Amino acid sequence: MKLGFRIAIRFLTASLGQTLLIMIGISVGVSVQIFIGSLIQGLQQSLLASTIGSSPHITIVSDTSKKEFSEYIDLADEIRSTDERIKTVTYVLDEPAFLLTEDTSQSLLIRGLPLSETEDIYHFQEALTEGRLPASSAEILLGSPLKEQYGLSVGDMITLLSTDNTALSCTITGFFDLKVASLNESWGIMSLSAAQQYFAFPDQVTGIELQLYDPYVFEADLVADKLQELPDFTSWQVQNWKVQNESLLSGLQGQSISSIMIQVFVMISVVLGIASVLAISVLQKSKQIGILKAMGMKNRLTSFIFLAQGAILGLGGALLGIMLGLALSFSFTKFAVTSDGSPVVALSIQPWFIILSGAIAVTASLAASLLPAIRSSRLNPIDIIRNS
Amino acid sequence: MAELGERYSKINISPVIEKRKEDIMASIIELKNVSKVYGDDILTKVLSDISLSIEEGSFSSVIGQSGSGKSTLLNLMGTLDKPTTGDIMINNTSIKNLSKDELAVLRNQTIGFVFQFHYLLPEFSVLENVLIPYEIMCTDRKKDVLEDPKQRAVSLLKLVGLEKVIDKNAARISGGQQQRAAIARALMNHPKIILADEPTGNLDSYSTEMIYDLFRELNNTLHTTFLIITHDQKVAEKTDRIIEIKDGRINLDITK
Ligand SMILES: Nc1ncnc2c1ncn2[C@@H]1O[C@H](COP(=O)(O)OP(=O)(O)O)[C@@H](O)[C@H]1O
Ligand SMILES: [Mg+2]
Repeated sequence: MKLGFRIAIRFLTASLGQTLLIMIGISVGVSVQIFIGSLIQGLQQSLLASTIGSSPHITIVSDTSKKEFSEYIDLADEIRSTDERIKTVTYVLDEPAFLLTEDTSQSLLIRGLPLSETEDIYHFQEALTEGRLPASSAEILLGSPLKEQYGLSVGDMITLLSTDNTALSCTITGFFDLKVASLNESWGIMSLSAAQQYFAFPDQVTGIELQLYDPYVFEADLVADKLQELPDFTSWQVQNWKVQNESLLSGLQGQSISSIMIQVFVMISVVLGIASVLAISVLQKSKQIGILKAMGMKNRLTSFIFLAQGAILGLGGALLGIMLGLALSFSFTKFAVTSDGSPVVALSIQPWFIILSGAIAVTASLAASLLPAIRSSRLNPIDIIRNS
Repeated sequence: MAELGERYSKINISPVIEKRKEDIMASIIELKNVSKVYGDDILTKVLSDISLSIEEGSFSSVIGQSGSGKSTLLNLMGTLDKPTTGDIMINNTSIKNLSKDELAVLRNQTIGFVFQFHYLLPEFSVLENVLIPYEIMCTDRKKDVLEDPKQRAVSLLKLVGLEKVIDKNAARISGGQQQRAAIARALMNHPKIILADEPTGNLDSYSTEMIYDLFRELNNTLHTTFLIITHDQKVAEKTDRIIEIKDGRINLDITK
């Protein structure tokens, strides 16, 4: 083994140019793989974050004609004890209303939320562009586009009109930006108790909202099905984000597949490169292999020389490629930036993915050196000695 | 050179020499009715029915016209090739039933090759080349490990007069020096027999003379068996036994 390694290293350093060239080839492959992989993962994560990062994973609404219900405390307790993947259970009273302004009226969805509990889902504190969250009195938080559109500011009194023509005056405590235009333009956020009082649904909600722990986000459909099966849930409908975002999911899947395809083809070209160089190397070194065998080196060890060369090339190429890939990713996040200095796409650089890319390159190199190794083991010393 | 040889034998060879002297005249290689046929469709019989015994410690040559089958004979003796019929005994063991790996070990520990072309590994230094047979042996560990293999290699290189180029790259020395390095390499594992196939075919007459003198000296001091193929009548006449091959048969076998 040690002798095999030493000879492998000598063979590689004797034709240093060739060795460096193929190592660079492998490292380019690995760096492209790391960069593209991190890019796609980053894209997917930011897409997912904007889709479900600030919205419930599972929503439970009434399946009857009356959408408000009062059993929510009991239901919430039951849900909590049903599945360990559930992180947060909270409720909401959603009611439509009009925001009256001087010459027009804007339709809003007033969302009454127990604000301290829903922070986990909506992150309003982070989304605040100015002001503070509403307290339990007649206070409201509006989306930042409305501020511009109607010339509003923090502390202003506005008038809301419910569908049964009840008017309510409330104070603007702040503005939010959830990074989704449709929500920014249509949501008005109140505390749950204020909304219940205003819309005259004391102790009633229109929905129960659930957040799952991170690793289980993609199991939302399973958790939803489980809840739906519960005996008490016949008059409730359990919805999950996966059903509501089917097209996004298939888009993500397509992206993943194309990313894997790219990586597979990059690796195939790397393997072919190594295999061809090592195949030539067997021919170049056949004289040496022949004489080593004449001196009593066993076929196994002459094979090992080529496997070792493959391993060294793969390992060197992988390490170089990881450095190159990280440098590439780093400069991408540094130089491909939007006007506010944040990267166009936030890359997701995962240690496991980097290690996997390196391991794939090493395995591929070993696989590529298999054929040359077999060839070298089949080489008959007599042919070498007679042919000169 | 004689002085170096003496020093060399003092270092680590003496017990082996004693043993060798006891069973001298025992045969180291024996061919029994060996024939060799080449080709699948068109058969060429290169050697027919050769029986031959090479004694331990002997110094013999094989002569014959080009194409008469000398190299074929030598390669069979060196286990690089297999006879079509007949059997070959090395150290009184038939090689017929040995596996490839067992043959490799046998070659490594019993036989030293010197070919017309030196076949040094150009990626290694002269010293490293000489050490390689020993390192191959170490992958097996069947023989005792030397305490200082490097010192042995150096003393062998001194023996062949290459002390000045020990650390040079093997490809960067002259043809005669390369052939002498190949001889040192062949001696590294203390083989019982050196098989040399026109070892000086590529060298000038001065280097040729030096190398045959060296062979003779090694034969005298280390009692290594030599079987040398040559097409040079003068060289052959310096050996103790001349075997002439003609048309694949032994035509003459003279022992002085
Ligand atoms: N692999 C082979 N296939 C067919 N013929 C061969 C092969 N090797 C050697 N020969 C033939 O065997 C004969 C003897 O060759 P060789 O032993 O090299 O002769 P020498 O060494 O005496 O010159 C030659 O005629 C050569 O052409
Ligand atoms: Mg010949």
